[in-house]
Amino acid sequence: MIVVKRKPFEEIKTMLKDYKKVLTLGCGTCVAVCLAGGEKEVGILNAELSMARKIDGNPIDLGATTLERQCDMEFLDELENVVDEYEALLSMACGAGIQFLAERYPNKPVLPAVDTTFIGANRDVGWYEEKCRSCGSCVLGWTGGICPVTMCAKGLYNGPCGGTDNGKCEIHQDQPCAWFMIYERLAAQGRLDLIMEFQPITAWQNQKPRTLVQPGYEKQKEAG
Amino acid sequence: MTDMKHTDMEEINIATDVLVLGGGLTGIKAASEIAGSGYKVILVEKDAELGSQKRPESLIGLEEEYKGLQDLEDKIKTDSNVEILTQASLVSAAGVTGDFIARLSKGEEVIEHNVGAIVVATAFATGALNEKYGLSPADNVLTQSQMDELLASEADKEKLANKAVAFLVGLGQEGNPLVLERVLRSVLALQEIDGCDVYIYAGELKVASNGLERMYKESREKGAVYFKLTEKPEIIENGKTISFFDTVARRDIEISPDFIVVEEELRADQLNEEIAEILRINVGPSGFLQNDNVHFFPVRSNREGIFVAGSTREISGLPSAWTDVENIAVEVRDLLGDGKKSVAKNKAVVDETKCVICLTCYRCCPHGAIYWGDKKAIISPVACQGCGICASECPMDAIQIGGFDDGAMNEEVKNGVVSGNGTPRIIAFCCQNSGFEAGEMADVFKLQLPDGLRMIKVPCAGKIDLDYILNAFVAGADGVMVMACHPGNCKSENGNTYAQWRVNDAYRMLEEVGLEKDRLCFVGTASNMGSGFSSIVVDMEKRINELGLSPLK
Repeated sequence: MIVVKRKPFEEIKTMLKDYKKVLTLGCGTCVAVCLAGGEKEVGILNAELSMARKIDGNPIDLGATTLERQCDMEFLDELENVVDEYEALLSMACGAGIQFLAERYPNKPVLPAVDTTFIGANRDVGWYEEKCRSCGSCVLGWTGGICPVTMCAKGLYNGPCGGTDNGKCEIHQDQPCAWFMIYERLAAQGRLDLIMEFQPITAWQNQKPRTLVQPGYEKQKEAG
Repeated sequence: MTDMKHTDMEEINIATDVLVLGGGLTGIKAASEIAGSGYKVILVEKDAELGSQKRPESLIGLEEEYKGLQDLEDKIKTDSNVEILTQASLVSAAGVTGDFIARLSKGEEVIEHNVGAIVVATAFATGALNEKYGLSPADNVLTQSQMDELLASEADKEKLANKAVAFLVGLGQEGNPLVLERVLRSVLALQEIDGCDVYIYAGELKVASNGLERMYKESREKGAVYFKLTEKPEIIENGKTISFFDTVARRDIEISPDFIVVEEELRADQLNEEIAEILRINVGPSGFLQNDNVHFFPVRSNREGIFVAGSTREISGLPSAWTDVENIAVEVRDLLGDGKKSVAKNKAVVDETKCVICLTCYRCCPHGAIYWGDKKAIISPVACQGCGICASECPMDAIQIGGFDDGAMNEEVKNGVVSGNGTPRIIAFCCQNSGFEAGEMADVFKLQLPDGLRMIKVPCAGKIDLDYILNAFVAGADGVMVMACHPGNCKSENGNTYAQWRVNDAYRMLEEVGLEKDRLCFVGTASNMGSGFSSIVVDMEKRINELGLSPLK
């Protein structure tokens, strides 16, 4: 899932300082699961904002809605009749949702209440670990299911480098060496030959936003 | 005041088979008792044989009980209601009370059983304490277990005739009645052997268990010599000689025993941790499967329908382990009945349209009452205790607790802050088990209470949402109090801890928004704290008067 972190309160407050009527929008998918942007967090943020603004002598009127997903236009359409009542929209969705919301309602200021942090997995309640950098060319099949792009400080597709240090990365003793872990995992599975396979380099430069059309859907896309 | 009422009931079917883990003496008794109530029992033992095949250490001098045990074992072996799986272990346990799916492995085979309740009956383990006395294993240095083995064999016993045997107890560890019981049983058995002299070097003699005082006296009358010491005696040449300075005789007392027997420590079964992880029950101090919590009935774990017997939960001799088993048999009958159970429909209701199956509730529930299906989290009405921790942690507000739903709670807060005569409006969220009772006591006894105090009852402090606290301030409360049970006293194990965490979170938020932190407080309370309650809330009112009324009014 996409993991987000709520922005510092002061930053959100500053963004909203010129608005008196704002709709806070939760998202019922990734950000709800990572306990940062679901219905409960919308309520908490609104309570905080409402208190702070009242104390500042500049009360704010806040609405609250949590959509199924902000990364689908159909769900954003549900706001059509209410958006006009507000001066600005405060989104607790990930960067994708926020941008889609801004695109759907181009006349409204759309503000982010969270920082989109990473694609990660849920270790325990409120505890997430980055697992994927969405590089676009997955090598997990060769690397024992451990992503070197995410876990290696250099993001090496072929490793380890000379900085591997008894299982640790040279950048910090708390940081395990991804390629050491990959070696251990493959060795345990008897698949060490894979580590000798050379993976072609990835062209990281000149990245532009990617568009993906799933196979089988090209025709539909063309047909509009 | 909202009362927790469950008027809307439904009848559900539950599994009535019972899984007993551990085929030792306690497990055999448990299988027998529960099967005797008419339930099918699956008895799982890791070893090849059930426990009574081995003569257990704690049984010396309990010959009658031992005989009874063998009869019991024979009985359950022929009982069609008891399925015995030896060399088997628990692999996983899904589901909840009344509907557990236990997967058991036996060799290559994995067997699945649908059971309504689970009894954990592991044994205790013993550990040598030789090192504590600076003794190495040798022909003349025996552990308590080795002495027990000698005494259990008629042939070996003869070796002890005309010998002097010294015991070391209570000097290498904190005294314990069961440790002493093992020593005393050996001492009495040795005194039956011709010419055997017995010396006991003891720290504290803990006799607080049935019959121990009598056994101690009997051994003394029969000539056992006790040396009560405050520190370990000097042990020379690996136990060949033991010496200490006797403060009464004012001289060194030196004895050269033929055998020196070292007390053993009694530990939790090493299987406990693995079982606890699979069953999702708490591991308490020193690896026993029960936390120190005054609210737990002796044989209960933190999960409804999972029971802990005897040495699974604390070091127990046979009599107390069997008392546990009898209690468990009663609990099992109460829980499983005839397989039909009437449960409240609205104890905890999950809104399918909101639930995102984030697993927060599953992970937070201290009662292990939650699992999940295709579309939403599922809360077992049998296992759920209605504490509301899940509801307050749910990021989608998708769970509502019967009698305490969010709408009603917020309404109560609003009514509670309607301004009166200019005195501070204080909202006190009170756990029904502690703060609320204390508050009512203060009221009944006509103790001083602020005019503007409004108590709001919650099923457990774990139900006090962060947004309840914040919204109370938004609505105009001048002060908010969270009244939870004292640490270690929560019926839901950690509802008070959750409440404390949320209050801490709220402090941070109040600081961010610019509202004085002193308007919020967390208080540990007990139900009998009537006057304490009064003074705490009166203090709170004073503090608020110093701050003035809330700027949010």
